[in-house]
Amino acid sequence: MLLEYIAIGVLLFLATAVAAIAIFLGELFGPKRKSDKKAQPYESGMLPIGPGTRRMPVRFYLIAVLFILFDIEIVFFLPWAVVFRQLGLFGLIEMIIFIGILLVGYIYAWKKGALEWE
Amino acid sequence: MTAYNSTMILAILPEILLLVLGVLVLLFDVVWKGEKRRALGWLTAGGTALISIVTLLIGRPGEPQSVFGGMLRFDWLGFAFKQIFLLGAIATALFMMDIEKLSRRGQAYALLLTATLGMSLMASAADLVMLYLAIETTSIPLYVLAGFLLDDDRSAEAGFKYLLFGAMTSAVLLYGFSLLYGFTGTTSLTSFVGSLPLALGLVFLIVVGLGFKISAVPFHFWAPDTYEGSPTPVAGFLSTASKAAGFAVLLRLFLTAFPQFVEQWAAVLAVLATVTMTVGNLLALAQKNIKRLLAYSSIAHAGYILIGVVAASKLGVASVIFYLIAYLLTNLAAFGIAAAFGRAAGSDEIASYAGLSRRSPGLAFAMLVAFLSLAGMPPFGGFIAKVLVFTAAVETGWVWLAVVGVVNSIIGLYYYLTVLKVVYLYRMEGENEEQYPIPLTRPYALALTTLSIAILVIGVLFAPWFDSASLAALNLF
Amino acid sequence: MMAGTLPISYYLGLSALLFTLGVLGVLIRRNALVIFMSVELMLNAGNLAFVAFARMYDMLNGQIFVFFVMAVAAAEVAVGLALIVAIFKTKRSIDVDQMNSLKG
Repeated sequence: MLLEYIAIGVLLFLATAVAAIAIFLGELFGPKRKSDKKAQPYESGMLPIGPGTRRMPVRFYLIAVLFILFDIEIVFFLPWAVVFRQLGLFGLIEMIIFIGILLVGYIYAWKKGALEWE
Repeated sequence: MTAYNSTMILAILPEILLLVLGVLVLLFDVVWKGEKRRALGWLTAGGTALISIVTLLIGRPGEPQSVFGGMLRFDWLGFAFKQIFLLGAIATALFMMDIEKLSRRGQAYALLLTATLGMSLMASAADLVMLYLAIETTSIPLYVLAGFLLDDDRSAEAGFKYLLFGAMTSAVLLYGFSLLYGFTGTTSLTSFVGSLPLALGLVFLIVVGLGFKISAVPFHFWAPDTYEGSPTPVAGFLSTASKAAGFAVLLRLFLTAFPQFVEQWAAVLAVLATVTMTVGNLLALAQKNIKRLLAYSSIAHAGYILIGVVAASKLGVASVIFYLIAYLLTNLAAFGIAAAFGRAAGSDEIASYAGLSRRSPGLAFAMLVAFLSLAGMPPFGGFIAKVLVFTAAVETGWVWLAVVGVVNSIIGLYYYLTVLKVVYLYRMEGENEEQYPIPLTRPYALALTTLSIAILVIGVLFAPWFDSASLAALNLF
Repeated sequence: MMAGTLPISYYLGLSALLFTLGVLGVLIRRNALVIFMSVELMLNAGNLAFVAFARMYDMLNGQIFVFFVMAVAAAEVAVGLALIVAIFKTKRSIDVDQMNSLKG
């Protein structure tokens, strides 16, 4: 009973095919004159120094983790929003409490300097 | 939609209050500066004591009932366990107050309260969703607390090992839950319908997850390393309240979800109990570090408590609860002593305890009480507790298991007495011990005195406590 | 089950496969980060089974469960990464075999 998926399969095939044909035609008919200048990452720009993969400062990690933690809480808003009307006032109050607790965590992180860049 | 009613609020009263207290601690941590932050410990301990009193006065359950759409059970079993956890949190907060780098940081107390909140939910959860969430709410703050002293690589390593084991076993547990859901079509902990092999497979997956929490062999590897590396009061909390929470879930889960397969899972747990007791005690014999010794001793105690679970009778459950109360008081005291000694003497080696009876007679006496109770000597709480679990085992026909337990108690006696020998009979080499007193700060003095008295009281006047435990046990049958 | 959907056994098979891969990863690999990813694989095996069963029973509680598992997994990873960073700072390595300060 996979027939219902056929439309998706066709779309997938067409999308891949169109992209592949475009690239293939460009390769086939486009003029190719390679030179050192063209091989540079930025023509007329500065030459890159050092390897491309470097260690990132750990500060990025802290911000990223804070983002993930607050971001993931959004999933709980989704089911709540769907049945918002049936839940009525009680649901609204519960959600306010939930956000309030999140807010305390946010204030704490803020005041402790977790959001400072320097 | 279910309207809310006052029973629902009462059912989660301790959790609500713990949450409020935790938020307060975090806010005061931002407002208060410097030395004043030490008061956060008093706030945590006092607040938790208040919560315990308030719930004892107005939060008592009546007839067992389900609340929040069957998410929680509001009954005496959960209530009894919640009081146990609150007690553990009070003592731990007091012990934390004088640990360098821990005492003046509000998040440590907030994490402690969050973990306690999770345990409370574990004790009353009646639905797989709630149960999983409660277990993780307990575990994650404890991972952080175990690795709290990030500059100390031993603490970070302790936290990481705990986290690694915890995350893996909880994933196994989750997989077990997903299959349980699949075969029953419900997430509530009603009786499981299905074939025996299937039930045994599920029991195995669940035992892995909970065996980690109660640190039963062979899921115990994290315990000695984590206890040694983490801050001592945290290790005490891990070995008592966290373990009690694991047993609360074990009892409720097996007795409500798999009652018809009791013979099979009791056999599995009996083997687990035997191995846990024996391995824990034998490895404890060789330990040189007091925290590692207590870690292996706490593994052995998990084995004794499992005997009560294996019995799966009213007396068995009651004996488990009583044992957990006695064990909580005793082990908290033991770790509290280790913390007090460790911060003054700067060492956790058993050899450095030589001459303690002269350096601090009070501390040495508290140690005598705690270790004799751990060993199961009368008139202390640990004695009655052991007698009760062994009686429960014999009553339900597990005579051989009781015998194994008794033999193990004798092995245990040996290493507890060895430590006491160092404390009371050995001297510091060529020194006058009176010149090296161990100062006890007020929180320590308060907590250790109370715990020592409590150990004696439940050993002598055990009837009221046992009656409460029996009342709680009734809710499972 | 509705017509046109895959039988539940496919999902369960995939879930079991993911779980086994996760367990093997945890047991065999020595890099703390890879072990972490393997644990995530195990959790997601559970999630997949939950969603598949929820579909089979036409009930939502299995899917709700997955929401919670996702939030829990995020918290667990945040704590785990913080500890890994702390350990890396002192040891300059995240090989779990190097974590041997505690022994006995």
